[in-house]
Amino acid sequence: MRRRNRRSSPIKRALLYIAVIIICMVYVFPVYWMITTSLKTRAQAFSFPPLWIWEPTLRNFLDIFMKRQTEIEALTGWELELATGAEQFFYNSFIVTLGSIALAIVIGTLAAYSFSRYRPKGTDTLMFFILSTRMLPAIVVAIPIFFFYRKLGLYNTHIGLILLYTMFNLPFAIWMMKSFFDEIHPDVEQAAMVDGSKPFRIFYKVALPQVYVGLAAALGFLIINVWNEFLFALLLTERATRTVPVAIASTRGEVGINWGLIAAIETLYIIPAMVLIFLLQKYLLRGMTFGTVRGV
Amino acid sequence: MTRVTLRNLRKSYGDTVALDGLSLDVPHRSFVVLLGPTGAGKTTTLKCIAGLIQPDEGDILFDGVRVNEVPPWERDVAMFFQTYALYPHMSVYDNIAYPLRERKLSMAEIERTVKEVARLLRIERLLDRKDPTTLSGGEMQRVALARTLVRRPKVFLLDEPITNLDAKLREEMRIEFKRLHKELNQTLIYTTPDFLEALSIGEKIAIVKDGKVIQYDTPENVFRHPVNKYVAMFVGNPTINLIEGELKRFDKELQFFGKGIRLNITELAGEWLNRLRGDEVILGIRPQDIRITLEKEPDAIPAKVIVAEPVGYETVVTTSAGEIEIKVLTKGFINLKSGQQIWLKFDKQRIHVIDPKTEEVLL
Repeated sequence: MRRRNRRSSPIKRALLYIAVIIICMVYVFPVYWMITTSLKTRAQAFSFPPLWIWEPTLRNFLDIFMKRQTEIEALTGWELELATGAEQFFYNSFIVTLGSIALAIVIGTLAAYSFSRYRPKGTDTLMFFILSTRMLPAIVVAIPIFFFYRKLGLYNTHIGLILLYTMFNLPFAIWMMKSFFDEIHPDVEQAAMVDGSKPFRIFYKVALPQVYVGLAAALGFLIINVWNEFLFALLLTERATRTVPVAIASTRGEVGINWGLIAAIETLYIIPAMVLIFLLQKYLLRGMTFGTVRGV
Repeated sequence: MTRVTLRNLRKSYGDTVALDGLSLDVPHRSFVVLLGPTGAGKTTTLKCIAGLIQPDEGDILFDGVRVNEVPPWERDVAMFFQTYALYPHMSVYDNIAYPLRERKLSMAEIERTVKEVARLLRIERLLDRKDPTTLSGGEMQRVALARTLVRRPKVFLLDEPITNLDAKLREEMRIEFKRLHKELNQTLIYTTPDFLEALSIGEKIAIVKDGKVIQYDTPENVFRHPVNKYVAMFVGNPTINLIEGELKRFDKELQFFGKGIRLNITELAGEWLNRLRGDEVILGIRPQDIRITLEKEPDAIPAKVIVAEPVGYETVVTTSAGEIEIKVLTKGFINLKSGQQIWLKFDKQRIHVIDPKTEEVLL
């Protein structure tokens, strides 16, 4: 859109665009490099000066799903950290993300609604307590949790990671959803009560639909949190339950690091997050501004 | 079809007292208006009747049966909220149909009833609208009203249904509510901060102040026989003239002196004199109960015109008499210049006497 009264000369505009393009390139370049590397053979990936034009190969993408025993493994019997058979890691990531998000959203939304509407005794203290669980840096609790998990048999299980991520994400879900519930006028729910609805029905037929935007925003943030989590996934999983971020970090090649393979996993790995952000972008923005004013 | 009785309701939020021993008896099929300023406790009273607020003390009875413990969804009342409280995520049709769906009526019956109430409120053309938050204020009010009237509950509760509308629409709706009450033929409790609205539509008016009902009477009696100074001042526009002074007795004559005004009120002497302690009184007279004469007449009070404001078919004349200002409301236009000498003749049958200590209206 053109604004008449804001006078900017064409040169100024051009400079502005150039600056924006440069900044974007700086940010996007690693992603570009990653994607192109995933489409190169090992030799092409290492060629210097870098190849700008080459015949792309899907070899790397095929390789990551092909589970094979390497020659070294066959000879020595050691299990090498190879990113092959990656469908297992993607499956792990999906299961852990879905499970913990479903739990955090359901529990968090119900808790937030209760705090917002019924204000149980000590609500403010409880809300602060819930928030305070996020104040410790994760690394502080890493070692105790590692030992707990070993003792409890939760180490190297999907359910272990799901419970842990649920716990980490609940405070965020509760705080965010509460702020959305606080904004909607309680008269609307009272009207439903007079109209003959019981409390739980009011929650899902009247209150919840009014905070769908907030729900989408919370969902987006939580999914990204869990999908990208690295530290605890590294500590608490072994090969069977390993999530994608850990798998990427622990990938080796037979001879040196196989960058093409890693880039291919990474490329696949960012696709769900990109799709999600694209779908939820307007909600994520509203979620960040929290105080959304709604007309009722 | 229900008689609603409130007995000594109390409710406080921390240090704020919302209801302070409120009692009210609303007979079966009557139209009662709760009249009072914002914050008097009108909305709290309605929400107590609906079951949305639990009173700290007191009883709520429907036909003599205590319903305090009955949850709102089983109380069978319909309420109009001052904020309209439309369901923002539902279409206009779904908003109005909601109370019927919650009662598991058949689809056909729901459709018939919704259309009927939409016709009654002239909002048929709005039924398809998807987003009720985009409606105008008047349209939202009608949709909310339709949702309230779509059922036949025991009691209708209407919380300031027309306060937020513009003046012309308000007048139309006043007439409509009278008609609606006749058609519904059901107990209806209505709140408003506007005394004119209350006087024009209520069968009975309960004046609410500081969480109490201070007068519960017919519109005429509330206007003609206010129980205390507050009611006298709250009801009526322009406000009642109040003149502080004292009574003096000479032989058989009873005279009022105050603020430079002297008036013989011998004919008003009566039983109320026994209830008065001391001689100090406040004399109250409504602006419409004073007549302006241009010639001196016996018992008329001399005054000077300050300003005359014609308001349609009436004129509000502000005069200075003795040491105070007295407002007079006269019919028609009268041509008065500021500073002009006039005389004020009080309609003595309409004079009120207020005890300044108790603020009680004695006469």
